[in-house]
Amino acid sequence: MPAVKQTVEHVESLEKYKHGFVTEVAQEFAPKGLNEDIVRFISAKKDEPEWMLEWRLDAYRRWLELEEPTWAKVNFPRIDYQDSYYYAAPKTGEGPKSLDEVDPEILETYKKLGIPLREQEVLAGVTGAPKYAVDAVFDSVSVVTTFKKELAEAGVIFCSMSEAIREHPELVKKYLGTVVPTSDNYYACLNAAVFSDGSFVYVPPGVRCPMELSTYFRINAENSGQFERTLIIADAGAYVSYLEGCTAPMRDENQLHAAVVELVVLDDAEIKYSTVQNWYPGDPETGKGGIYNFVTKRADCRGARSKVSWTQVETGSSVTWKYPSCVLRGDESVGEFYSIAITNGRQQADTGTKMIHLGRNTRSRIISKGISAGKSSNTYRGLVSAHPKAKGARNFTQCDSLLIGKQCAAHTVPYIEARNGQAVFEHEATTTRLSEDQLFYVMQRGLSQEEAVQLLVNGFVKDVLQELPMEFAVEAQKLVAISLEGSVG
Amino acid sequence: MSLASAIRTGDLAELPSRRDEDWRWTDLRGLIRQLPAPSAPLASGALAVGPFDALASRRELIANGQGPAILQIEGEQVLALRIVSQGEGAHAAAIRIQVAPGAKLTLLESYEGEGAYLAQTSLTFTISSGAEVERIVLADEAEDAVTVSEAQVELAPGARFGQAVLAGGARRQRLETRLKHPGGHAEVRMDGAYLLAGKRHCDLTTEVTHGAVDGTTSELIKGVVRDQSRGVFQGRIVVAEGADRTDARMGHHALILDDRAEVDAKPELLIFADDVSCAHGNTVGALDEEALFYMRQRGIPEAEARALLIEAFVGEVVDRITHEGAQDVARAWLAAKLGG
Repeated sequence: MPAVKQTVEHVESLEKYKHGFVTEVAQEFAPKGLNEDIVRFISAKKDEPEWMLEWRLDAYRRWLELEEPTWAKVNFPRIDYQDSYYYAAPKTGEGPKSLDEVDPEILETYKKLGIPLREQEVLAGVTGAPKYAVDAVFDSVSVVTTFKKELAEAGVIFCSMSEAIREHPELVKKYLGTVVPTSDNYYACLNAAVFSDGSFVYVPPGVRCPMELSTYFRINAENSGQFERTLIIADAGAYVSYLEGCTAPMRDENQLHAAVVELVVLDDAEIKYSTVQNWYPGDPETGKGGIYNFVTKRADCRGARSKVSWTQVETGSSVTWKYPSCVLRGDESVGEFYSIAITNGRQQADTGTKMIHLGRNTRSRIISKGISAGKSSNTYRGLVSAHPKAKGARNFTQCDSLLIGKQCAAHTVPYIEARNGQAVFEHEATTTRLSEDQLFYVMQRGLSQEEAVQLLVNGFVKDVLQELPMEFAVEAQKLVAISLEGSVG
Repeated sequence: MSLASAIRTGDLAELPSRRDEDWRWTDLRGLIRQLPAPSAPLASGALAVGPFDALASRRELIANGQGPAILQIEGEQVLALRIVSQGEGAHAAAIRIQVAPGAKLTLLESYEGEGAYLAQTSLTFTISSGAEVERIVLADEAEDAVTVSEAQVELAPGARFGQAVLAGGARRQRLETRLKHPGGHAEVRMDGAYLLAGKRHCDLTTEVTHGAVDGTTSELIKGVVRDQSRGVFQGRIVVAEGADRTDARMGHHALILDDRAEVDAKPELLIFADDVSCAHGNTVGALDEEALFYMRQRGIPEAEARALLIEAFVGEVVDRITHEGAQDVARAWLAAKLGG
């Protein structure tokens, strides 16, 4: 009975947070704090052209004028922006030419995390297993990007952001900051000033990217923030599926992660963007430590019949504040958002999406499943709007919340704005606890309470898990179980 | 901060603006550039009959902000509370309504007016245990008026409260009800409908806070907007920690009949207890073309088919009114609004 064996192993493997280790690696830091010199330092470190430095400095000056927002349903002490390192990179000479030059400690880290960085390792897997290319970002820099050659043959550019600024300045100039403008919000503006690295993807017209692309983010250094910036462009008729994962060591202080992700989708193109977010959530008892995950993710469906699908599994971070959005500008463009957000311990999450219908006959779908346990708080906040010209706009939203325990909270805050007579919006939401009847039924079939909860929760989130690429789905399912460990009984 | 305090102090900064989360779609500070002078008193003798006068056992009048400050309710009463505004001035009124234990009140509250007045009416209800209140509000303000009606409802355990607000909009019209639900098998019905045309604006805002176990809330809001009108619904259900076995349902459904009309909605659930069953549904869209087609192919002319469908759509709210006379008045008002 392999299924039973797997369940047993699975339950045994449950740990508090298995990615909480620290990698000892020689690192280089920018001086603590934030000022124009730090911005210049980062830009110089990356060997950036003058225009990029100007762009950053402009962002920094604008950031000084902005006020930190406070409207989300999250509580955390004020962040001291001068008490953090804005640049931390593993020390290398010239930057690794090949994988053999990458610090073995870092390779070991990714191995521990289960991320194959050596192409042969990927290939050594099961015959016929899908290949996927990885861009690994360690603290502030991208350490390695795999399968570049094979991707280049298809015409796909997949590299780190700093490389793209050097190698493809025309593409970067054309698209960077056009989806999330510099002063869009406080954290995006900070990111524009100090972003260190991230992934860049360009899929040329008519090309279907031959493999899944993925980025794996790891915060390692103490007292440092991570500010990566990702830009993905799917040119006319192109298709790409992109995955991101993230983890961080267990530390007592809070660390800020303020990323920006911009997706540009042209005519008939499609981007599928999946996230499994597992930053360190902080100590479940005291709430000490953990990552502040304040991320701006937005897709601009510029072309007619373009499509974007966001799928997210949010289990980590002490505070999450993010709304992956779709601007449906092109006629008949489609936006999708599938989300599982799990909070336990003292985690707080305020997450959801925005579907902004601008073009004719645009369609969107939102499926959100929130689970709160322990003393956590989980908020779905979403906006669906149709502008006067968005005739025939259509939205369906389903957001369900599940409560496990007496001291947790689940909130649903949808905003619906219909500004023309030909838009059809439907929204439904439910909030309930785990059904006693179902629990009883499953337990009297021989499952422990913990296993029964896992089974029911996996059923609850099934609609979203199905949207994830296969390998991610398996991992996400395990993650759901781990995140809820200790929430019952 | 409120329209009333702005009227009282003459300070424009007291007006709520779109920067205040609860007023994001009804911006008064951006609208009102100057506060008018206080309204002149109205002679009650000059007023025609109110819409509910014939049904009532007791009649009270608030004319340009002048009227009784406290209403005591004992035994069984059908009270017509008529709020009339006239002129171009500003006025505010505050009324406390105290319902004794075991009393049964049918409150027939009506708003009417003429002119470009600014008015706020604040009502505070204290409803004792075992008491039962049905509040029917017919808000038919002048087209150029800016009005706010605020109700705070404090409900004792075992009491019942039901309301239906029917609103026709104004230049800006806001009808707000905030209710503290004590649980303890108290039942709350919180209905409403808005029927808007021209450039009218109506904002229905409700907040129900469940503070203890075993409370029930049922809320149904329907809206029909045409021309360039704008309907706003903000509904919030809060279930406090420990308020287990709460059952709360909220629905908001709106029809947009013309291209330039708008509907904005924010149905919120804030839940701090786990043993609850809460749900909300929200739909916004045009009239169902298939239903229309079906009716037409059965020989009903298009205009009539449309009217029937719209009436049936909004009629659901009227059907839930329990006072028969008030239900008839509401239905007639609805028909008149839809016919015009």
